[in-house]
Amino acid sequence: MAQGTLTDSEIEVNLKPDRPWICVVWDDPVNLMTYVTHVFMVVFGYSKEKAHELMLKVHNEGRATVSSGTREEMERDVQRLHEYGLWATIQRADEL
Amino acid sequence: MSTNFERTESGELRIKFTTQEAQVLINLLEQLLELLGEPLIAEPDPLFNLLGITGNETPPDDPVLRRLLPNAYEDEREASEFRRYTEHGLREKKRANAHLIYEALTPSEEEWSADQPLDRSTIELKIKADEMAAWLSSLNDLRLALAVRLGIGENLDGGDGSQVKARYELATESDPMKAVYAVYSWLGWLQQSLLEAIE
Repeated sequence: MAQGTLTDSEIEVNLKPDRPWICVVWDDPVNLMTYVTHVFMVVFGYSKEKAHELMLKVHNEGRATVSSGTREEMERDVQRLHEYGLWATIQRADEL
Repeated sequence: MSTNFERTESGELRIKFTTQEAQVLINLLEQLLELLGEPLIAEPDPLFNLLGITGNETPPDDPVLRRLLPNAYEDEREASEFRRYTEHGLREKKRANAHLIYEALTPSEEEWSADQPLDRSTIELKIKADEMAAWLSSLNDLRLALAVRLGIGENLDGGDGSQVKARYELATESDPMKAVYAVYSWLGWLQQSLLEAIE
């Protein structure tokens, strides 16, 4: 291998940062759609458009990944979502 | 439903409830606060108490509490571990939210004479911007609790609450659950109105 070039594994590292955990929100028939959108905006700082889109994904598909990051970050997100009464869980990204 | 809303110049939200509406909220909040009280642990570990860890590893028996304090992992072992360190904090947060509304709805005699209507048929209160999260999430906790009692979301309900809605709207006035459903609907309307007011 010529000096100054990257190996495949190094490219992999650069393209796929270490974000192995995700936070998933599940659909439920109680939480109002406007409320879920509001919570996504407050908790994650998402724009109204993005929050609305995620809420629709939860509603239509039964679940949506709402954030990703380290395990500690996802545990903080889930705690905040539970404070707001959303049904959220943590899992490894590769368990999707 | 005679509740009304007014946005003040300082960004506060003024709400007027009838005393009956306020009493409904007060009763529900008292029950929620009691439900969220710490479970009885025979020998709480003093160090755990100090750190705010209850050591509670299993999901609560009460179906309402299971919905308010859900598992964070699908894997039971991981869910237990997470619950052991976080359930106490979540209970405390929800209790603090409920307490904030409860306090606002139960003014002292001095507060009554200072800024409440003389005939006491309505109660006016102000929600500051930084209190809105507590209001929205605690109203949501009450809705979740009533939904569990009403059977909304169970398989037999079709999952979207529509069958429950039809059942209670057709129920006779003597069915006690009809009143519960009316309160559940009113809480949803109240939460929606708050969200629209802060848009």
